Formats: sequence, structure tokens, C-alpha cells
Amino acid sequence: MRTDSDADGSGGGTTADTGGGTNDGGRADDGEPVLHAADVHKSYGDVTALSGADLAVGRGEVFGLIGPNGAGKTTLVRALTGTTSVDGTVRVLGTQPAAVDPERIGLLPQSFDPPGRLTARELVSYYAGLYTDARDVDAVLADVGLESDADAWYETLSGGQRRRACVATALVNDPDVLFLDEPTTGIDPAGRRDIHRVIRAAAAAGTTVFLTSHAMSEVEQLADRVGLMREGTIVAVGSPTSLIAEYGGHPTLSVTLEIPETDGPTDAATAREAGVAAIRSNTHFEIRERGAHADSVADPTAGQTADGTHGPHGTAIEVDDVPLEGINDVLDALTAAGIDVESVSWSEPSLEDVYLELTGEAYRPTGTEESIDTADSTAGSGPSSSRAATDGGSR
Amino acid sequence: MSRLRRIRSETIAAARSFLRRRTAVFFTFFFPVILVVIFGALVRTQPTGGGLFAEPAGYYLPGYIGVVVLFTPLSRVGSEIARHRDGNRFEKLATTPLTRVEWLLAHTLVNVAIIGVASLLVFGLVLLVTDAAVRITPALAAVAAFVAVGVAAFCGVGAVLGSVADTQDGVIAASNTIALPLLFLSETFVPPSLLPGWFLPAVAVSPLTYFARGVRAITYDGGPWAGDLAVLAAIAVLTLAVGARLLPRTE
Repeated sequence: MRTDSDADGSGGGTTADTGGGTNDGGRADDGEPVLHAADVHKSYGDVTALSGADLAVGRGEVFGLIGPNGAGKTTLVRALTGTTSVDGTVRVLGTQPAAVDPERIGLLPQSFDPPGRLTARELVSYYAGLYTDARDVDAVLADVGLESDADAWYETLSGGQRRRACVATALVNDPDVLFLDEPTTGIDPAGRRDIHRVIRAAAAAGTTVFLTSHAMSEVEQLADRVGLMREGTIVAVGSPTSLIAEYGGHPTLSVTLEIPETDGPTDAATAREAGVAAIRSNTHFEIRERGAHADSVADPTAGQTADGTHGPHGTAIEVDDVPLEGINDVLDALTAAGIDVESVSWSEPSLEDVYLELTGEAYRPTGTEESIDTADSTAGSGPSSSRAATDGGSR
Repeated sequence: MSRLRRIRSETIAAARSFLRRRTAVFFTFFFPVILVVIFGALVRTQPTGGGLFAEPAGYYLPGYIGVVVLFTPLSRVGSEIARHRDGNRFEKLATTPLTRVEWLLAHTLVNVAIIGVASLLVFGLVLLVTDAAVRITPALAAVAAFVAVGVAAFCGVGAVLGSVADTQDGVIAASNTIALPLLFLSETFVPPSLLPGWFLPAVAVSPLTYFARGVRAITYDGGPWAGDLAVLAAIAVLTLAVGARLLPRTE
């Protein structure tokens, strides 16, 4: 809770504050960003949690922060909410975090565990009672889909219901800035949709939402902009679309060729080589030679079983950067070469691919060794600096 | 009004949380009861032989009440802080208008109410199962003030322990380590005449000493008690201030 001096608005959350200012990366419709962090550092003994994090988030924006465990996401949330002291500049609503009017802040901490023997209604009422001008408790419970379970003790609720109740406690004061640290952990798809709807409604009403999550699809759906954090610094910022375009790779077409079961492994390899040759000679698409989930078609024996026959993926070919309208070109090339196709799948890159790429876990497409090397070094200086993007984004 | 509203909300939530933990409620009241039964009825306290303690039964009334005044706030507030910290509740409260002083005040009020009831129970039980004679005077009402202020003092100490100890187990171990010596070395069950002279300054440091002296003056020997209440109140203000200051935020 706040200190008395904090309550009077004179508390300080940062040990060094070099002033406010703006950051072009933040979508600030009215000038100054609602959330602003510049060169923020934080260490716990020998462990560095934040190593120069920069951030700017505009009013009404939903900002998603993603990154591996231990990347510093929660520490950054704590720096912004004034619950930990950091070195560097942190401004929230134009002032130091600890001096912000708490009536304007809503927080759902990570791993939040409120008193178990309060009902959901009592729990939300409890937090409502801490604010001067709180929302109607029943309306908040309805927003998170907990009306029918409002009188059950928190400890008897399911995991998803508990998380909804926790989200409700962060919404009860109708905050201007809402921090949600992994809000949908443990929530079923229906509950997640309810939370997503609540977040969208809050943002539509002008609330700035700062969201951390390990669910890439969730961040991709909700966030106007996404920051990817790695080893204490934000290595890329942009709209999901722009990040996917820049770091997510290309659409991939996966084709499995049909080989009679009686054929041996040599025939399967030969058929695959013929298929690759047909695609290369009749289309401009490139074959992905190595894959994280393709049992590596670069190895002609990949997919073979112990007795040397081909397995289910022995004739798989992954074709890189194939747009939806280019699928027929690939299939036509195979058909023209007399090769039958067993199955076809096509996938677009997602934020998950961005995550994997920028955290150094991406698969290695043909001829992109440089990008992998760069990804492997994004946390430090040098290549990471050139890769770190700041994008104003758009809603 | 906002401050009162916040304290009220925290108090109600804290009271509900405690009263719905039936095991905790049961042992909060059962612990002093078994103590009174064991020492007051079985071991007995008789000045003329036959009992373990040399003073008349009425002498020990402050000690029996002191057990709940001392033990319950230490363990309850300390454990509550550990629970809050484990559940990241302080991190959330740090972003609300509730101050640390308000939080501790609310939990102190809950403890005062609970321990007030427990003290009444102990008081009645001592009269019932021992031959303790209690002075019936208007000053008897001041015993309630001693209980309230004493509980507040130990809530402050409990807050310090809860903030310093990093686990619930640590809180319990620390509170037991502090409470047991205090209980027997604060003019509760052991008269100062039985202690070595060099140790008496340590007795004067214990908050429970002033509780025992004051309550004994009111209920047993009729001496002055206002000074003891004043000292106890000053200690309560000090421990609450230190306890509130040390309450965790995130780190």
C-alpha cells in the first residue's frame, strides 16, 4: 500500500528521474505519453532485471509486453506502478509513479492471490471501498462474467473464475491506466473472451492498458502495439502487423507427397527430390531446407523409420514465402511433373514467430543465417540496436 | 471520510477473512482457556502451599489475559503480512489509496475486537475456575483500555516480525521466540522478587510489564495504573509506527 507521504503525492518511486519528455514510439494522441520509461535499470544483487528499458504508451492504447520468463516484464510493471525503485526515467500520467493519484491506477499483479474466504462480491466490494469514487460492484462483476458466482467464496471458484474476480478488482475504480500482468493465466477460452471484451471496452473508453502475457495470440488480438522484452530491455516495439511483417518470416506452404507404401526409402527420397526440383524449376518460390517442426527435409533420410521405409514426414516439402494465391502454382508444378500430393497446409506468420525469432529460437530458413545470428545477439548492443524497431503503430 | 471509508473496508475484509477460518478462531479462544484450566484449576495457584505459584490466584489474572494480548496479535498480524506478501496483495494495495498506517490500523482494530472478546472469556473463566478475588471499582473499565492498547502494541511488533521474516514459518518461529520470554519475564506469572536484580531493567523494557502492572493495580492490589497505561500507549504508538513503516510493498 501507499505510504502516507505517497498519499499526499510527494512520494518518489524512482531513484533517478531525468525528467519527462516524449518518445516517438508511443502513440500519444495528446502529446505526452501516458506511460514513459527511458533507460530504466534495475538489479537484484548480481541479477540484472532491467538493463536500459525504453517505452512510451499513449492514451487509450493497449500495449502488450511479451518476452521469455525472467526477461524483466514484471519488474517493468512494478517500475511503472511505483512498487519498486529503479534507475532511469519513469513517468506515468506525466509524473513519477509513486506520486500518481492512485484513484487513476488499476493493477492486477502477477500471481495475485486475494483472501480466499471472501465471496467474489465481497472481494470486489473490499477494493471498491478503498477508492473515493468506485464503480458499482455488480456492474463490474457482470463485466467479467461473474454475476452468477458472485456469492461463492473466492477459494471455491475455479481457476478461471478466480482470475476474473482478480481482474474485477483492477477495474473497480474505473482506472485511467490499467496494468494487467498475465491476466488470463489459467482461464478457459470462454473466460478469456470475457476478459478480452473487458479490456477492449476499457480501451475504447479511453483507458490505457498495459498488458503482459505469454499468450501470443491474445496479445496479437488485443494489443495496438507490442513490445518484446529480452534480458531486461525492449528489443522490438510495433504493431503486431508491423512486427510480424518485419520479424515473423513468410507464409509457408507445406506439401506432403504421395508415395505408395511399398516403396522403399530411396524411392521416397527420389520422389521428394523430384518434387523439390519441380517447384524450383517452375516457380520462383524457395524451399525451406531446415525446420523446427518439419523433421528437417534438408536431411533426405528424415522421417525414415527404423527399417528404412519412409515415415509420415519423409516426403514433406516446405515452401517458403508462398502467398495464398501462389498455392496453385506450386501444386500445378508438382502435377506437371507427375507427382501426386497427399496433403497441403498453409500458414501465415504470427506473433509467436516474432517471439521465437527475437528470442533466438527461430528456425533457420534457407539463406538466412545472418538473421539467425542477429536474433541470437539481440539482447546486447550492436546488432540488436539495428534490429530494435520503434513503430508508432496504429489502432 | 475517505480515510474512514478505507479503514472500514479493510477492517471488514480482515474480520471476515479471520472469522471464516474456523480453526484459527477456535484456537484463538481455546488456547487461553486451556491455559487457565491447566494452571488455574489443575496446577493451582495457592499462597499457602499445594500450588506451583506462590501468589494468590488474583495476582495471575493479568498473566492469563496477557497470554491472548501477547500471543494472538504477534502471530495473527505477522502471519497476515506473510500471507499478503505471498499473494502479492501488498503490491496491489500499493497502487490503491490505502496507506500502510491505515492497513495496520484496520488489522489492529480487528485484533482488538477479537482479543477483547477472548479477554472477557478469560476473565470470566478465571473467576469461575479459580478462587481469584477481583476488586470491583469503576477503574475496572480501564482494563478494556489496557487490553486495547496492549493489543495495539503487539500488533505493531507483529507487523515488524511479519515484515522482517520472509516466510509464514519464520513469522511463527520468531513470534514464539519473542513471546515466550516476554510472557514469563514481564511480571505476569513470575514476580520480580524471584528474578535476579540485574535482570530487572530488562523486565522494564517489556510492554507486557506495563500491561500486567496496570491490570493488576486495577483488579488486585489497587495501586496507581494511569502511568502504566501511558507508557503502554507510548509503546503502542512507537511499535505501530515502526511496523507500518516496515510493511512491504513489493520488495
